[in-house]
Amino acid sequence: MKAIILAAGEGLRCRPLTLTRSKVMLPVANKPILEHAIYSLVENDIKDIILIVGYEKERIMDYFEDGVNFGVNITYIEQKAQLGTAHAVKQTRDFIEPDGKEFIVVNGDNIIEPKTVSDLLDGRGGDATILTFKMEHTIGYGVVIAEGRQVKQIVEKPKADISHLVNTGIYLFNPKIFEYIESTPLSDSGEYAITDALQQMIDAGLEVTMVPTQSRWLDAVYSWDLLKANSTVLDQDHTSNVIGTIEEGAVIKGNVSVGNNTTIRSGCYIVGPVLIGDNCEIGPDVVILPSTTIGNNASIGPFSQIKNSIIMNDARIEAHTFISNSVIGSNNTIGSHFITDEKDNLKIEMIGMLHHADRLGVITGDDIVIGHRVLVKPGVLIGAGCNVESGNIINRELPPNSTVV
Amino acid sequence: MCGIVGYVGEKPAASILIDSLKKLEYRGYDSAGICVLNDSLKTYKTTGKIANLESILPEGIEGTIGIGHTRWATHGKPNTVNSHPHLSGDVAVVHNGIIENYLELKEKLIGDGYIFKSDTDTEVIAHLLHSHLYGGIDGVFKLCDLMVAVQKTLLSLEGSYAIAALCSSDPGVMVVARKDSPLVIGIGDGEIFAASDVTAFLKHTKDVIFVDDDEVASIRAGGNVEFFDADGNPVTKETIKIEWYIEDAEKAGYEHFMLKEIHEQASSVQDTFAGKISEMEGAVVLDELNMSDEQIRHMTRIEIIACGTSWNAGLVGKYLFEQLAGIHTDVDTGSEFRYGYPVICGEVLTIAITQSGETADTLAAVRGARSYGCRAIAITNVVGSTITREIDSVLYTRAGPEIGVAATKSFTTQLITLYMLALKFARIRGKISAEDSKNLLVALKKIPADIQKILNRKKVIQECAKQFSDSNDYFFIGRHLNYPIALEGALKLKEISYIHAEGYAAGELKHGPLALLTDKTPVVAIATKGHTYEKMLSNIKEVKARDAVVIAVADEDDTEIEKYVDVVLRVPKSHELLSPILSSVVLQLLAYYTALERGCSIDKPRNLAKSVTVE
Repeated sequence: MKAIILAAGEGLRCRPLTLTRSKVMLPVANKPILEHAIYSLVENDIKDIILIVGYEKERIMDYFEDGVNFGVNITYIEQKAQLGTAHAVKQTRDFIEPDGKEFIVVNGDNIIEPKTVSDLLDGRGGDATILTFKMEHTIGYGVVIAEGRQVKQIVEKPKADISHLVNTGIYLFNPKIFEYIESTPLSDSGEYAITDALQQMIDAGLEVTMVPTQSRWLDAVYSWDLLKANSTVLDQDHTSNVIGTIEEGAVIKGNVSVGNNTTIRSGCYIVGPVLIGDNCEIGPDVVILPSTTIGNNASIGPFSQIKNSIIMNDARIEAHTFISNSVIGSNNTIGSHFITDEKDNLKIEMIGMLHHADRLGVITGDDIVIGHRVLVKPGVLIGAGCNVESGNIINRELPPNSTVV
Repeated sequence: MCGIVGYVGEKPAASILIDSLKKLEYRGYDSAGICVLNDSLKTYKTTGKIANLESILPEGIEGTIGIGHTRWATHGKPNTVNSHPHLSGDVAVVHNGIIENYLELKEKLIGDGYIFKSDTDTEVIAHLLHSHLYGGIDGVFKLCDLMVAVQKTLLSLEGSYAIAALCSSDPGVMVVARKDSPLVIGIGDGEIFAASDVTAFLKHTKDVIFVDDDEVASIRAGGNVEFFDADGNPVTKETIKIEWYIEDAEKAGYEHFMLKEIHEQASSVQDTFAGKISEMEGAVVLDELNMSDEQIRHMTRIEIIACGTSWNAGLVGKYLFEQLAGIHTDVDTGSEFRYGYPVICGEVLTIAITQSGETADTLAAVRGARSYGCRAIAITNVVGSTITREIDSVLYTRAGPEIGVAATKSFTTQLITLYMLALKFARIRGKISAEDSKNLLVALKKIPADIQKILNRKKVIQECAKQFSDSNDYFFIGRHLNYPIALEGALKLKEISYIHAEGYAAGELKHGPLALLTDKTPVVAIATKGHTYEKMLSNIKEVKARDAVVIAVADEDDTEIEKYVDVVLRVPKSHELLSPILSSVVLQLLAYYTALERGCSIDKPRNLAKSVTVE
């Protein structure tokens, strides 16, 4: 069976992290979100993958190459204009239709597990099957109205909780879908939506079914949702694999992974779940507390404490820093005595609207240089390429490439 | 300079040979051919790339044993007659290398009645094989096996060769042999592959045996291979598992290998230093160097030998060894060194830099240097390549296979290796403090992310390339460590965009080249911050005074330079000694986008081949 993964969009609401890469390449449990999708397909023996790419496609291609390292065979198709999910799937028609076989469509920016995919495969029926996820409050999501397994209607972002079955955007189709994609009209939001094609199938009397799942299906809508996704996956997957060097006098508790060529120096105290990548130098005397992931090629200086945070690749963090409930983008150089303040129930402005965040420190984009003794107030977003000189207190969002003297 | 392939197995040989040849196209591509054995020999050959050959092949060629060749002409023009395989009666042979005594052999064979169809040196091998098999042009009875005929033939050959031969009266057997040209055997499941380079058959197997000089192998259907040395004694060979994966040799969504390989530098650079540096201790660990501290301290001079892009890397090495470690260093091209009269002795360390490990001139030069009792180390990218078997120690760059003819990631990973080596020497010789060494390593660790930053902003470089893509000439200038980078920038541009380009030490401009500058000549000035920055600014003014267009490569925080130049291409701020790595990535992208704009054949530029295994 072939699979199409939609990975062309930017993920605007995950800025500033998506200024330099698309949302599918953001790390959850030290792996790009997209890798979770690919792994879930491989485990279900689906190895022929068509990746629809667009925004910052090179970052995806550089990481996955032809897929052999991930046990799959990847064909890349570029969606030049991002005109919606139906338009994306339409690009694959020449690759899919000649087989005349069923195929699966997955959103590259949701975090899933193998069971999520097998739930769909085991429960499939009719000409199209939609995987749904049961949720209490579904405002803001696309939902499915069904009688038993039969889908009656698909509603995009309803104003009230009219159904508890959220459309996961994971589908099983047979090639008939292409006919309906061809006749799908442009929606009010200026896109060709696959849900409109499905609605047309329903209206034409074809059988569209749904399978509810309670397996992993996480959606990081905003950059700060990554922390929740990260901690959930760490809690569920129990990964513990120490390859690097742990010096005498360092304490490791719980599920902790330490990558190749990484050194954990004496006096460090690490409490899992924690993942640390390859080529890192941690410590001496660094405290890393649960639900923290550190990417590759990072160094963390002495007497620092990090908890419930995502530190991406190539970070260089000096001594005496305190980082909590924060996402630090890749290639950040952070001076000593850096402190992230944190707070519950924040309102954060993004794209002209206020959004809620549960508990958050800071989010920093890529390639940021921060001097010594800098304090960042809760919920502050720092754009890619910013330069903050020593001694500053940052209390509002910084646009990309700004300098704070 | 050519590539050979062979297949003995159960599948139709033709399509496997074509597939393998495509992987070897980087070795040359002016003509190609295959020969498949099925009762009789069926030969197909034509000029041009492998795709041309593929288009003339009929459907369903039967036969599960065959040989193939992609050619880069040395003897005789690139035409169909001169392309391989070459035949003599029912014998077919493909060959990579040069038979030096072929004129003499040819005369004798003509005397024996053999008729030559081509101008190649290879055809003598085909006729020699035939004469040993049948006793002469009119012979009808087979006098010996193909294996024996090959062994007899090799006795009269002088020069270099990797050959594969078939004979229809000895069905089910392929015989291969090598001397001074690369040859490797792939062991599959019931099938055997032979090729000039492992990339040809990596898709089918990762278990390989490297054929050594003067060895002959007989390969039979069913997966049997027997090796013999020059005296005909059986040899037991070790099977090696290749770590490269086949996707490394695919374009993975990119339009060209070169762009893919430019992008891969962020990770290949990191792979090259991973596990070899300790930031906290300011130390470099290079166990594979196999040199005692005593040896490092007593070294009097370093002699770097390399060709092409590797030579440019070597020149960077010279500045590093001299500045960091205080060791006098010379850089020579392989082709000059081998015919020179080198003044060297035991205390001189020779460093050979070759991506492929097969560069004929570099190999010959290193053999020469070692004959004076010099210790020699190699910096190479290919595990198991010829140089790795002939040298005291090997430092591997971890670039992975490089397919684009224009070297990119091999250059930057060579630089990384040279930095580590220079730093190691400097520490042991007490020329650099732990603190300075640490600072350099901290900056080195940042290089992968800095490269990624350049890649994120490549659109600016593309715009610049577009703007000047119509130019007929380009100049590249730099000082100190940026001088080799200017040379490399010019080399990249001329290789793939066919624009005449020259690199100069910026201070040399006024001694001649300044006369060539007009308002139509872009001058790329590498002006990252360092102790020669002020001097570079005055050189830029000198150039501007002649109305030339100046494109500067400068630090991202440099606000001074934009006052003097037309376009600024930014590199992330790095250590003065390391910024050349970043500047070279910028110049690679400039060359790539210029060639793209001009519609050039980027991965396979005309007249060039990837690894030059001929003199």
